[in-house]
Order: sequence, then structure tokens, then C-alpha cells
Amino acid sequence: MFERFTDEARQVVVRAQDEARHLRAGQVEPVHLLLAIAADPGPGGETMRAAGIDRDRLHRAVAASTDELDAEALAAFGVDLEQVRAAAEAAFGPGALDPPGTEGHLRFADGSKKSLEQALRHVLARRGLARRNRVIDSGCVLVGVLAVEDPVVTRVLRQLGADPAALRDQAAHAA
Amino acid sequence: MPTSTDVTTAAAADDPATGLRAIRALRDLADRLEAHQVANARSRGWSWQQIAEALGVTRQAAHKKHARSRKDV
Repeated sequence: MFERFTDEARQVVVRAQDEARHLRAGQVEPVHLLLAIAADPGPGGETMRAAGIDRDRLHRAVAASTDELDAEALAAFGVDLEQVRAAAEAAFGPGALDPPGTEGHLRFADGSKKSLEQALRHVLARRGLARRNRVIDSGCVLVGVLAVEDPVVTRVLRQLGADPAALRDQAAHAA
Repeated sequence: MPTSTDVTTAAAADDPATGLRAIRALRDLADRLEAHQVANARSRGWSWQQIAEALGVTRQAAHKKHARSRKDV
């Protein structure tokens, strides 16, 4: 499947893994693909920027909605997560508070696999182009991510004032 | 004059979204710390009975939650 991907689209997939790992997620979720696309120089990133979606704001929204060890919420009760982390790491070594199994290769969640399938489907459905010329660029990946209607993706986009359905139309138009 | 701690505590008490998020985070935090503490206790020769008593649970509950490898029976 990846042989149809442009270099940029491949980079999106690779970067999604880094995003997931940074956010201490157990799997690569569609929202990590979305984050990776937001930093993409190609058509997917362009569509998001045109819709006014800022990568840093998106990152903060994702961190707040997916981090199990929600530093902000803990702080509201006077618990300083960074202090707890420092104490735990002093006793048990680096990464002591990381969820188990986030080292090495991260699995793609079902929603992420479906996103990539939808990206492929979108390209194959395109008319007026020889089949062999149909490649998956980062814009197609964006279409795929939005097609699966992942609840976290929908929520963070709305938080940023973006309409997921409208964004999907814009992405599909561009791709 | 309210201190910043008063303000954050009031905010936490007032807003169920923050309060519930904090509860979930506290549970996750406790779970991760518990795993380390139990492993540490086992490596220092504590019995499951001793660990269970310290945690305020039954020996079976502590064993079921934390025993993973065969040497940990």
C-alpha cells in the first residue's frame, strides 16, 4: 500500500508515530496522523493552514484531551505532576511514569488503519487520471483521517473552531 | 484576599469537567506508582500478604493485579 504514497505522505505516517510517542500514547491514533499533517509542508498541511488550524494550538488541545496523566487537571488539586515524575524517576529510573509498552514501535490503532484505507479509497475513486498515476499525498491522508470520524479528532477540531465536515470537503477538493 | 491556591481549588470544585479529569489522572498516576512500588517490594522479599496489608486489599486482589511472571507466584 505504501508504494503509492508520496514522500510527504510517508513522512506524515512516520511523524504520527513520533507524535504518539511524545504524547505517551499507547497506539498511533487518527489524531496523531492529524497532528503530523498539521506540520506537513505539502497539500494536507496547506489545507489545514488555510482553514486556520495552527499546529501548536492543535497540539495543546490534543495533549489536554488525550493525556491520561492530565497535568492541568492534577494542578487544580495542587498536585504538581512534574514533581511527582521527578520523584518517581529518581526512585525507579527514567520513564517511570510512562504507560507500559510505549518504547519502540507503536501499533497503529484500527481508526488509523482505516484512515489510511480511506485515503487509498479516495485516490482510487478519482476520475480522469490513469490508475498508475494515482498517488496518495498528504491531502489524501487528511481526507482519510476525516472520513473515519474519530471522536477525538472531531472534538479537537471543534475546540479550534474548525468544522470537521467542511475541512473534509476542502481536503477532498484539493486532493 | 484569596490566594492562587484558593482560586484553583475553587475552580476544581466548581467545574465537574476539571474535577472528573483530575480523578481519572489521579487514578492513572496511582496505578503507575503502585506497579513500581509493588515490584520494588517483591524484589526486597515482601510477601503478597505483606503487600496486600499495606495496600489495604486482600492478598488475592494484590496477587491478581500484580503477579505477572512465574517467579512472582
